[in-house]
Amino acid sequence: MDTRLKQRNGLDVAVSKSATIRPTGPQLVRLYTNMVRVRRLDEFLVDAYYSGRLAGPFFHSQQGQEAIGAGACTFLRPDDYVWYTHRGHGVCEAICKGLPMRAFVAEHFGKATGSCNGIGFINTCAPELGMFGMGGTVGGESTLAAGTALAAQFRGKGQAVLCFLGDGAMGEGSVHTALLMSANWNLPVVWLCSNNGMSMWVPVEAAYPKENVADLAFGYDIPSTIEDGQDVAAVYSAVHTAVERARSGQGPSFIEFKTCRYRPQVEGVADYCLDGLRDPVEVKRWKQRDPIDLCARRLLEEKILTREDLDRIDEEALAEVQDAERFAAESPLPDPSLLDTALYAS
Amino acid sequence: MREITYRQAINEALHEEMERDESVFILGESVCREQWDTHRGLVQRFGRARIRDTAISEAAIVGAAVGAALAGYRPIADIMFSDFLFCAADETLNQAATHRFSNGGKTKVPMVIKTAIGGYSSSGPMHSQCPEGFLWHRPGLRIALPSAPYDAKGLLKTAIRDNNPVVFLFHKLLLDVRGEVPEDEYVVPLGSADIKREGADVTVVATSYMVRMALDVANQLTRYGVSTEVVDVRTLEPLDLDTIVESVDKTGRVVVVDEDVSRCGVTAEIALRIMEAVSRPLLAPVKRVAAADLPIPAGHLERRVLPKPQDIADAIGTLMNIDGRLVVEGFSEKPGFSVG
Ligand SMILES: Cc1ncc(C[n+]2csc(CCOP(=O)(O)OP(=O)(O)O)c2C)c(N)n1
Ligand SMILES: [Mg+2]
Repeated sequence: MDTRLKQRNGLDVAVSKSATIRPTGPQLVRLYTNMVRVRRLDEFLVDAYYSGRLAGPFFHSQQGQEAIGAGACTFLRPDDYVWYTHRGHGVCEAICKGLPMRAFVAEHFGKATGSCNGIGFINTCAPELGMFGMGGTVGGESTLAAGTALAAQFRGKGQAVLCFLGDGAMGEGSVHTALLMSANWNLPVVWLCSNNGMSMWVPVEAAYPKENVADLAFGYDIPSTIEDGQDVAAVYSAVHTAVERARSGQGPSFIEFKTCRYRPQVEGVADYCLDGLRDPVEVKRWKQRDPIDLCARRLLEEKILTREDLDRIDEEALAEVQDAERFAAESPLPDPSLLDTALYAS
Repeated sequence: MREITYRQAINEALHEEMERDESVFILGESVCREQWDTHRGLVQRFGRARIRDTAISEAAIVGAAVGAALAGYRPIADIMFSDFLFCAADETLNQAATHRFSNGGKTKVPMVIKTAIGGYSSSGPMHSQCPEGFLWHRPGLRIALPSAPYDAKGLLKTAIRDNNPVVFLFHKLLLDVRGEVPEDEYVVPLGSADIKREGADVTVVATSYMVRMALDVANQLTRYGVSTEVVDVRTLEPLDLDTIVESVDKTGRVVVVDEDVSRCGVTAEIALRIMEAVSRPLLAPVKRVAAADLPIPAGHLERRVLPKPQDIADAIGTLMNIDGRLVVEGFSEKPGFSVG
């Protein structure tokens, strides 16, 4: 099995092209199904934001970026650690790692049955799935990710750590310190940078001296690759190649995914870019390579699924979202006694 | 007099000071547009060199501001949420605050850290904090936290002209509040508290959004025959203790209100300074109203942690030894924002 990540200068030498790890037909179906589930859930949360049903004042939709979380998290081990970002509030990573939709929606409704017992909101916490949550400072968990990788290394059971970052997060010094630490200590961590071209309202070309964020990993001697973030099979191949490196003690990897967020930085605010608006033509161009459509086309072409199968997957995803909504709506609010017990461990 | 919003007041101060002094510039994340819409028209007028978008790095924003200030400029470091200022703790607390002192008074750091504070929007612990207690603990920083448009404009102008690092804390829930602001040039000096409402029975000393909450409570309490004086500290460093103590000497009773946590907080410090300085014994022990000593939860439990109007009324009722409860209505300026 080829677990080397090659030095590269562009997409054409993406490691996924030559990877020996590729999703099988049934695996591709699961990847597709997860992307659809996440998309439907994300759409629901956007609606819930506008109808005032969310417990807090924001939602950062991840629509357009599903292939990355799905390709990376669907086939991890339960004891692998995953650190996600504010984008989607972890919806893609958590659902694909195995969090029930009910816990996710209930948390967004501020209910006691939510993944943080109703006081976390953007936080999605599932320690049993190796997910410890996300506080809200961009890049703020990267050093924590290095710490979990250190724990995994101590334990020696082949656990891997995935740490998602936005392109913007690469500005934070603590992210670089974490990269350096992972290189120095050969930690079993995969750094996943979803480069959607925007850090808040600043385009990536105004924030970086170079085109590819992955170039930053060169300095730390961390093997890196640049991948098509819209192709879930490529994501799967690249991430699992890197995960195998981590499991087998070969150290950290860095993967940059080129992708696009379809919606604004945050709901309720226009799609700003610098002192104007983001070019809608650009977003439209990306939508022609929608990760779900691309995967559907492949499943049909390779005769893995039929149109009817695709429709059924979609219907089931919608039904699952509706179930989660009902569950969350009927759940109780958190009891105030939580305030007495949540701060310190006994 | 004309009325403008707190947001417009901040915006006018920036326009005027950038026009007046070419060494003033702004750096921060997505500042061309700015999360709270306080930068309207700036980039069109002054260009992207002086309205400077940075990478997402609070440490670099504050640190570069310190450096540019040392080298003769007057930077305004824009930190979207004050919660993120903790990502620049070294640059703020170790560098900006102590630089001059540790160089024997030979340097100066004329800069502003402009940042949004406050909860009541169910945004959770990293988008809701009020860091004034934490910052005040550190000698070397000046701290302004206006409650009204007039003060916001006047204090920001003074902050920009001051030769020291000034943390300018504006409250998210005040941005749409309107108030009288003269068209003519004026400034509000640092270290001048303001009596926002006169009263005879009890003094409420408050900061930022809590001033508005206290004013609302004070107005409601007139129906119980309670006459409340509200003192807005406006700046914590320097603190205008004279104005505060003069009021407390008059009324003999005081409640101190701040949105930060109570422990080691602003309310504790002000309460003690009052007790040390009053010239006649208080008629009742000082009361404090502040956030519970907890991180701020998102969701429905937030309201149990942050100060409420009824808390202020209850404190006043206790001080006045009133039988039965002084019941006041809830009060909230609509959060009405979506955040990054
Ligand atoms: C420490 C910190 N600084 C600033 C912010 C505000 N903020 C939230 S998301 C965001 C943009 C992040 O960009 P990127 O990392 O590229 O992720 P994307 O939003 O594109 O998914 C910013 C500046 C924050 N949450 N934390
Ligand atoms: Mg981005």
